[in-house]
Order: sequence, then structure tokens, then C-alpha cells
Amino acid sequence: MTQADLPAAIETLRRVREDPHRLGHRGHDAEGPVEGAGHGASGPARKRIVVGYGFWIFLLSDIVMFSCFFATFAVQRSATAGGPTVSQLVDIPRVGLETLALLLSSYTCGLSFAATNARSKLWTQVFLLITGLLGLAFVGLEVQEFISLAARGITPQRSGFLSAFFGLVGLHGLHVTLAGVWLATMMAQVQIKGFRREIVHRLICFNLFWHALDIVWIGIFTIVYLMGSGA
Amino acid sequence: MSELEYDPGLSTGALDHHADHAPGDEPEESAGHWVLNANLGLGFSLILTAAAFWVAVSHVAWFWGPAAPVALIVLAIAQMGVHLVFFLHVTTGPDNTNNVLALAFGILVVFLIVVGSIWIMNHLHHNMMPADQLMQMQP
Amino acid sequence: MFGKLSWSAIPFDQPIPLITSLALVAIILGVLALITVKGWWPYLWREWITSVDHKRIGVMYCLLGSVMLVRGFADAIMMRTQQAVAIGAMGYLPPEHYDQIFSAHGTIMIFFAAMPLVIGLMNFVTPLQLGVRDVAFPTLNSVSFWLTASGALLVNISLFVGEFARTGWLPYPPLSEAAYSPGVGVDYYLWAVQIAGIGTLMTGINFVTTVLKMRCPGMTYLRMPMFCWTTLAASLLIVAVFPILTATLAMLSLDRYFGWHYFTNTAGGNPMMFMNLIWAWGHPEVYILVLPAFGIFSEVFSTFSGKPLFGYRSMVAATLFICIVAMMTWLHHFFTMGSGPAVNTAFGISTSIIAVGTGVKIYNWIFTMYGGRVRFTVPMLWSLGFIFTFVIGGMTGVLLAVPPADYLVHNSMFLVAHFHNVIVGGVVFGLFAGLDYWFPKAFGFRLHEGWGKAAFWFALIGFWVTFTPLYMLGLEGMTRRLQHIDIPEWAPLLRISLLGVGILILGAICQVVMLVVSILQRDKLRDLTGDPWDGRSLEWATPSPPPFFNYAVMPNVEGEEAYWGIKLRAIETQQLSPEPTYEPIEMPVSSPVGLYTAFFASVMGFSLIWQIWWLAGLALVGAYVGFVVFAWRDVHEFHVPVEEVARADRARRAARGAQLERLAQQGAIP
Repeated sequence: MTQADLPAAIETLRRVREDPHRLGHRGHDAEGPVEGAGHGASGPARKRIVVGYGFWIFLLSDIVMFSCFFATFAVQRSATAGGPTVSQLVDIPRVGLETLALLLSSYTCGLSFAATNARSKLWTQVFLLITGLLGLAFVGLEVQEFISLAARGITPQRSGFLSAFFGLVGLHGLHVTLAGVWLATMMAQVQIKGFRREIVHRLICFNLFWHALDIVWIGIFTIVYLMGSGA
Repeated sequence: MSELEYDPGLSTGALDHHADHAPGDEPEESAGHWVLNANLGLGFSLILTAAAFWVAVSHVAWFWGPAAPVALIVLAIAQMGVHLVFFLHVTTGPDNTNNVLALAFGILVVFLIVVGSIWIMNHLHHNMMPADQLMQMQP
Repeated sequence: MFGKLSWSAIPFDQPIPLITSLALVAIILGVLALITVKGWWPYLWREWITSVDHKRIGVMYCLLGSVMLVRGFADAIMMRTQQAVAIGAMGYLPPEHYDQIFSAHGTIMIFFAAMPLVIGLMNFVTPLQLGVRDVAFPTLNSVSFWLTASGALLVNISLFVGEFARTGWLPYPPLSEAAYSPGVGVDYYLWAVQIAGIGTLMTGINFVTTVLKMRCPGMTYLRMPMFCWTTLAASLLIVAVFPILTATLAMLSLDRYFGWHYFTNTAGGNPMMFMNLIWAWGHPEVYILVLPAFGIFSEVFSTFSGKPLFGYRSMVAATLFICIVAMMTWLHHFFTMGSGPAVNTAFGISTSIIAVGTGVKIYNWIFTMYGGRVRFTVPMLWSLGFIFTFVIGGMTGVLLAVPPADYLVHNSMFLVAHFHNVIVGGVVFGLFAGLDYWFPKAFGFRLHEGWGKAAFWFALIGFWVTFTPLYMLGLEGMTRRLQHIDIPEWAPLLRISLLGVGILILGAICQVVMLVVSILQRDKLRDLTGDPWDGRSLEWATPSPPPFFNYAVMPNVEGEEAYWGIKLRAIETQQLSPEPTYEPIEMPVSSPVGLYTAFFASVMGFSLIWQIWWLAGLALVGAYVGFVVFAWRDVHEFHVPVEEVARADRARRAARGAQLERLAQQGAIP
């Protein structure tokens, strides 16, 4: 094949000559109808959107991971192997406190981003700090719960059901802990670097993550604890 | 730091009358709007959470057996919706199409995994010989 | 101090792994020494290891995939040889070693050969086809690659230190539980796949965002080349199902390390839940592999038939249809588990239905060729071989989708032949077509045609000679994974199959010779214009190899087949479009964070496998420190000066202009 050889293009042009109105082809001219034109037709999206959207997709994958643990919990719910059942684990007042802590932290997290939008470093930091402390309270309550269960001999090694229970609740607790580490890092960054573009992008992502963890917790306190208390 | 966007010609907005939004983001809204949203979200969530806990602990004599779990599921879904709308700022507007489509895809996957697993494993469980009989079969 | 690790982990008493690994270590040391002597380290570090350029990362992925393909093929040769000689005898591989080989073969081929090659082509091609300068998250892309490499490293370390899993490429419990597999083999599998899986998940996120949010002006959804659509569908599947893999393997790890009871057969554990979850990932996984291959075939058929892709919109619909339905068929991998007629029927039907989407695509490819002027180049030969091979593989798949029929051939050699039929015929042929097709774009010269054609014919014939006997053996009742065979009547077929492997080896040798000959004759095979195949999509508008910023000015797309329209207008008017106004370009800076992350991931994986807890903790802290340092950097982008942009683009325009003149002188323009 020689370099100058563009056989298909030449062939098409020959056919176009034979069919000047291009009856058999879709046109390439600018005046043609722009079919399927939608968002993004005008070039790459802004960085803020790209970052937020990418993190949104990550959150979806994280939720899918949680759904596997939920499915396993549902399947293993009665596989107690003669050990404690779900209703023997549930401590409604503690779950209520945990829920309240996480819900309030979601609220303060939302307020922190309102402060970010108003470019108020002080209030952003204050609300992020409250968010972190509430998250810490949540993790503390959960650790206390696990310790008190272990004291009663209720450990994940006891039965398939308990593995599924500790796996699901523990995975959420692990997420909150990691989010807390992220939060601390974020606060240091805001303090030192201020509201630079990429810092604000990260704050958007952090907000999404924290709210998503609260949404997962809604699933957990409903399906594991509240529906378990009656069982 | 450069204030240039990815491509200089694109930040003018000449082509984008309705640029997409990042999820959880409404760049042009004022702080007051955000605070209002957070307040509404907190209020609705508190009511729904309280209702869910009340259903669980009150042990009311329900008119229909599975009414309590169904009510709990409905309340949970409602509260997830409240979070999506007021905390995550997901709306039905055209600027959110991609975000909502991604969310719908995620919900479909979660639905397939959870419902599929429960369905498959329940049928399997039903077909399995009870464990005590299995023990008796062993020599 | 060193957990379970001791000198007894090194197989001094087993000659085959010992010699192999010593040879491997010698080769690696030799390569490293060569690089040091030649002083290539600064260049490699600057231009490749720390590069966040999607083209460079794509090439590195393909290199990793090709090396691991050879490694997996070596395992396959050993397995087929063993089965051909171990008839009424024990052969040359003891059972515990043979079991590791078939487990390693499947693991390596899927996770470390096919996935890197598919993702490598996605990386290289998608941003170019979309007319943009990089993926959505370039640095994350580099992290993804290095994590995949880290997983591959762990699998290969298992050859020398310890052992690999003996549980098959999916470690089914209860066999894979600590009670029955107390060694480190399954742990090697778990951590290698977890680390590589996280890399793959991030690639999926990256490419969903890239295709949905990063397109050049005018590149609407229905103007995207087919390969971009299949990239999107495969990436969506990655995002949807790789978390399932992560979750399932995490549960198995909890069982093994801490004595939990997810999948044990005691204390209420449920091994069947593992089959359920792992196949909810496993079935979509094969579509993650094959959908990009379908994209490659679409590009190849259209280019070498000189016609637009037939039924573009039906192709898009079929791709998305497959993407959704792929997540609804997973139970057909375990019809025999006993979920009963209702469940089996539903999944049998959904499995049959998904073949419709593929059928639509097959017809579209055939009609693309119809009425076109077909050029039988090497990529086109692979594609034609694909249609022939894949249709047969697909039909045996539909046969297996019928639960009563599946009960008869479940886990037999028939199944083995079937999935090699679709994965070799679909994915591997597609990858070879894609590598041959885009090689000139990546390196600036074409691959030698004669050796490429020889490789194709050896591969096609070798494939059928290898796997037709396996179909027949499966129907005669031979189950898979047999270390030795007690039925002498199967000997002839097994030996024919070994003959087929010999032909496949010739094909592999032809590929290597093709590469060497092409490099030696690169001046003769040089692609001067950047459009060696008379292509139709935007990547052919760039020079070969493209500058690191891809496009001096972002293209403005005015119709389907973006580049085709531009090219025809240039030939018609016999001039290029007027020179654009050049502006400085903002590009992401290189970053070593990918290598750092992979280093800590490898150390953490290795120490978790051997239960060296302090080292694992240290690696975790190291990884966190690395992330913080990365997050603290101030410079994310640099500007390419306008002179450099203009110089690169004027060179490209000069080459194109010269080509137009040549065409006019030849009197070729009608």
C-alpha cells in the first residue's frame, strides 16, 4: 500500500460524484440536523462537574458494595446456628442516639458547604468540626455496642448470621471512620490553602460521601435494627 | 494557580445555556438557599426517623400482619428521597439528567443484586433437605 | 516477626517452579541491568513511569497484558501436555502443582491478560476518538494502571515464594476456606485480585466520566464512534459489578483470616451465597471483556469495507441492551446448584435473550461489508475469523442456556471449549485486531502484513484443532480440571488437542517475529500522514504518533464519522481547512503517585498474605502519607506554549497537504 493511497475515500468520492445529492448517504454539512444533540455537545464539561460526576459514579459503586452486604444479611438472617437472634442484639435507645448523631452531622455538613459557598472560612471550619465530632460520637457508640456484644459472647465467629450482621454494620462504621480521616485532612487543607478551586471540588466530594453514608445508615437502622427488634 | 478552565473557549458559556451540574452542587445559588434546604432536610428527616422508631417500638395491634415492616420500608425510602433532594440536591431539571440517570442505573443494580440474591437463595433453601435429615443420611 | 514466612516457602524441592522462577528473575535482572547500563532510567521515569498521558498508560497496559498473555499461555501448554500424557498414568505434573496451574491460568488470563489489554486499548483510543486531550482523571488513570501491575506482580511472586491457589480461577468455598486450604495460595489470589480489582474499578469510574462529560464540541452521543459506546457500556458494567467482587472476596478473607462464617459449611455459613455473589460479578465480567472487542470489530469492519457502520443506531441499542441484560443472567453458571425450575427457567430465558443483542451486531457487521470494497488486511482477517468462530461459540452457549441440557454438560470439557470459543474467538481475536489496527497510531509505523496474516491463520486453525476435540470429549462425559485420565479411549482426541496447541504456538511465534520484523523495517512501514488505513474516526486526524496533547485545536464535529467528513471535504476542495488560531494548551503534570500507591499496595498485599501485620500497617500509613503529599501539591497543570502547539500542528498539516498533492498528481481524485 503506498502512502498516497486512500482507496475508500476515493471510492466514496466517486460514488458522490455519481450521486450528487447524496441520496444514499447522511450528509456531513454543517447545516444538517444535529441529531441526538444534548448536554455536552459543546465540548468537555467544566472541571467542577467532571470531578463531582466522577465521585457520584464512585458513590454508586460503593452503594453496590453495600448492597452485597445487605443481600448477605437478608439471606443469613435466620442462620443463627443456635446462637443469638437479631432481636437479642437490638438496643433501640442506642440506635436512636446513633441515628440522631449521624443525621445532625449530615445537617452540619450541609451547612458547612453553604458556608463554603459564602466563602466563609471560619464557619466552614466550625461546621466541619461539628460534623467530625458527631461522626466520632457515632463511631464511639458503635464501638461501645460491639464491645458490649462481645462481652456477652456475641462475636462474628459465632454464626453465619452474626458474621453478616457485624460485616454490614462494621463496613458502615469503617466508612464513617475513613470519612473522618478524610475530614481531618480536608480541614487542614482548607485552613492552609483556603478555598482554591481544587479544594472546593474536594469539599463537594466530601459532602456527597458524608450524605451517602447517612443514606446507607437509613437502610441499616431500618432493616437491621428496627425490623430486627420485632422479629 | 491558573483560572483557565480546561479549554479557554469553553468557560464563556456561549454554547451552554444550561450547563450540567455536578451532583450535590448548585453553583449559582446563594448561601441562604443552602441553609433553607438543609433546614428542610433536617426537619423532614427528624419527623420520618421519629415515625420509624415509633412504628418499631410501639407494638400497635396492626390490622395487617406485615404492616409494620412495610411501613418501615416506606418510611426509609421516603427518608432516602428527602436526603437526595435536600442534602444531595438531586432534582428533575435538565441540568441533572446525567446525575439522575446514573442514580437510576445504580438503583437498578442494587435492586437486581438484593432481590435476585434473596429470590435465588430462598428457592434454594426451599429445595434443600433440612439439616437434621441431612445428618441422619450420613452413615 | 515475619508471620508465616520462612525459608520453607521457597520451592527448593520442586524443579519446575524453581527453574521457571529463577529464569524469570534472571530475565528481569537482565532487563534492569540493560536499562541501567544504557542510562534509560531518567527517560523511563519521566516519559513512562510517571506519565499521566492516556496514550502512554494505554501502551503500558497493553505491554503488561501481552507479557501476562504469554505467561498464561505457558500454563495452558503445560495443562494440555499433562492431559495428553497422563492417560492411565500420572503424567509429569503432581496434582497439587497441576491444580495451581489451572487456577493460575484462569486468573492470569482474565484479570491480568484480557483486562489490561482491553483497558489498554480503551485508554489509548477513547480520548482520541472523542476529540479530547486526556481522560477525566489522568492521575487516577496512572494509579489504576500501577495497581493492576501490582496485582500481576503478586501473582507472579507466588511462583517463587509460597504457592498459588489450587481452587480454580474462582475460589469456591468451602474448599477455599481456611479449613481446607490452609496454605497461602488462596490468600495470594485474594489480595492480587483485590488490588487489581480496585484499579479496574477506578478505570471504570474514569471512563464513564470521560465518555459522558469529556467530548469535543459537536460530539453528541449519537455521533460517537462505536468503540466509545462499547467503552461506555463496559465501564458502566465495571462500576456496577466490580464492587460485588470486592465485597465477596472481602467476605471470604474475613472467613479465612478471622474465622467468620459467611461461606463456611458450619455454624450457619452458606457456601452457595458465594456462587451467587461471585457470578453476579463473573457474568457481567465476560461482557466487560467482549463489549470493547465488539467496538473494535465495528471500527475495523467499517474502515476496511469503506462504508459507514451498518445500523449504527441499532448497534448502540444492542450495546446498551447487552449492558443491562448482562446483569440478569448470572445464575446460568450454577443451574445445577438446585434453585429449582422457576429460577432456572427465568435465567435460562434471560440468557437466551441476551444472544439477540449479539445477533443484531453480527448481522450489522455482515451488512457493513455488503456492497463495500473490502480490504483483507490483518485486522480484517481477525474480524472475519471472529464472526465465524464466535457464532459457533455463541450457539453452544445458547445450548448451555437450556437448563436440562446444561445439567448434562455442566463442568465438562464441553463448557471449557464453549467459553474458550467465545473468549478466544471474541476477545482475543478482537484484541489482536485492535492491536494491529491502532499500532501505527501508537508507534508511527505499521506491523508487517505477511507475518500478521501467518499469525492469524495459525491461530484460527490452531484454535479449532485444539478445541473441537474438547467439545467432543465433553459430550463423552469428560469433566474439567482432570489431573490424569483413566479412560484410554479419550487419548486420540486429547492428543489432537495437543497438536492444536502446537499450531497455536506457531501462531504466537509469528506474532513475535511480526513485531521484530516490523521494528527492523520500521522505515519502510512508516505512517507519514497519520491515516494509514483510510480511517473514519477522529483518531486518524492526528499524526502518528499523536503529540501528547492529541489535538492542537479541539475538533469541531459536524456529523457522524467526524474525520471522514473533514477528509472528504479536503479531497473534494483539494485543500485543507484554513489554519486555526493556536492557543496555549493546559495539560496535567506528570506524577509518581501511581507508582507510590502500587508500591505500598504490593507491600501491604504481600504482608497480609504472609500475615506480617506490622508491615501491613506500615504500608497503610505510607500510602496515606503519599496521598496527603499528593493532595498538597500546588501545580496541577502546565501550559504548552503556543509556538510548540503551532509547530506540531503545522507539521501535521504539511504531511496532509503533501498527501493531497500526491493524490492530485496521481490523478486519483475523480
